[in-house]
Amino acid sequence: MNDPDGDNGSDTQMACQECDLLIAVPRLDIGQKAYCPRCNYLLAAHRPHAHAMVFAFAVSGLLFLALSTAFPFLGFSASGQERTVTLLQSILTLVTEDLPPLAFIIFLAIVLLPAAFLIGAIYVCTAIRLHRNLPGTVRVLRWTFTLLPWSMGEIFLISILVAFVKIVTIADVSLGLSFWSYALFTACMAVVVLYPDKRRMWQRVWALEDD
Amino acid sequence: MTEYTASTALAHGLQGCPVCTSVVSAELSRCERCGETLHAGWSHSIQNAWAWLITSAVLYFPANFLPITYTRVLGKVTESTILGGVVTLWEHGDRPIAMVIFIASILVPLGKMLVLSWMCLSVQFGSRFALTQKTKLYRVTDFVGRWSMIDVFVVGILVALIQLGNVISVRPGLAAIAFAGMVVTTMLASHAFDPRLLWAEDTRNDN
Repeated sequence: MNDPDGDNGSDTQMACQECDLLIAVPRLDIGQKAYCPRCNYLLAAHRPHAHAMVFAFAVSGLLFLALSTAFPFLGFSASGQERTVTLLQSILTLVTEDLPPLAFIIFLAIVLLPAAFLIGAIYVCTAIRLHRNLPGTVRVLRWTFTLLPWSMGEIFLISILVAFVKIVTIADVSLGLSFWSYALFTACMAVVVLYPDKRRMWQRVWALEDD
Repeated sequence: MTEYTASTALAHGLQGCPVCTSVVSAELSRCERCGETLHAGWSHSIQNAWAWLITSAVLYFPANFLPITYTRVLGKVTESTILGGVVTLWEHGDRPIAMVIFIASILVPLGKMLVLSWMCLSVQFGSRFALTQKTKLYRVTDFVGRWSMIDVFVVGILVALIQLGNVISVRPGLAAIAFAGMVVTTMLASHAFDPRLLWAEDTRNDN
């Protein structure tokens, strides 16, 4: 029963999130996954060192996100004129070009919510690593899950490529240092989102409360 | 092999918290472990899903028929709609990209609304048809919905980048905000819909 993560992993009851089947999920060994027998939804997975991985990638992701606001993001030139913008300048351009709500939605989806998500993940992992129930850990973890679908870094990345294909026919475009930083941020974000097991994260946090 | 009792949580007077996965009493409207608002017997799930679906259907029209961008080249302004942009890309030979935009901006939102309406109707009529497939379809629908934001971001990038005074500049049209609203409301509809409801009738007949 002593796995390296120190998880109790007891046989706990779960209701499948998609078909509501009541299931007793057995203790999983490292690398094992449990799927719903009726609808095949992934119920639980045991991935080693989840909170250490999440912590490392969340910190890196946050740094890359911060760096991506510091340098030129994209460049554009036509008829001898050139324009380079940083991430925040491009948001400000949207504000001045008549549609502030659009600017707000984009800023929320590509900078603010991803940052909030990563900060939340770092906070929860810090609590787990310190074995201390930091104030509001449960609430922070709940909010990170709620924010997740609205954080759209990876979609923004694909959008840049689509925008490029559209522009390339009329002008020259270039990717700045910040773009690459943003790409690395989305890669880190993907690890933070995909690697940990939801149920196991919660069990960790509850274990802190019980101490 | 996982062992399971072949009945739903609801049949046992229980419900699973969608956020922290705890199994708690079906009577609770707030999860006792993480504080998440629960569907409390899921009475409002379908109602809320319909409300968001209708809103997104209304927004679909301005999103597709109003201009999404105004491009000004040497003083001459051209309007373009989403479909117009797809046609232009197709004619320029960028067919894969044209396909991506056509699928992400026009087919996906429409498909998503149709799928979710079908889901809501089949819960309301207590259909037991293809439950497993419908659950999978819901999962796919829920997953791809966010990707429709591509068009909103593309408009954002074009407007932010293409600002060379009189040479060439791009301004966003109202369709951009309608489109963003449509994507957000279909996402909310998808979140409001509780796929477990599809199985409720199945459970009722088993007992």
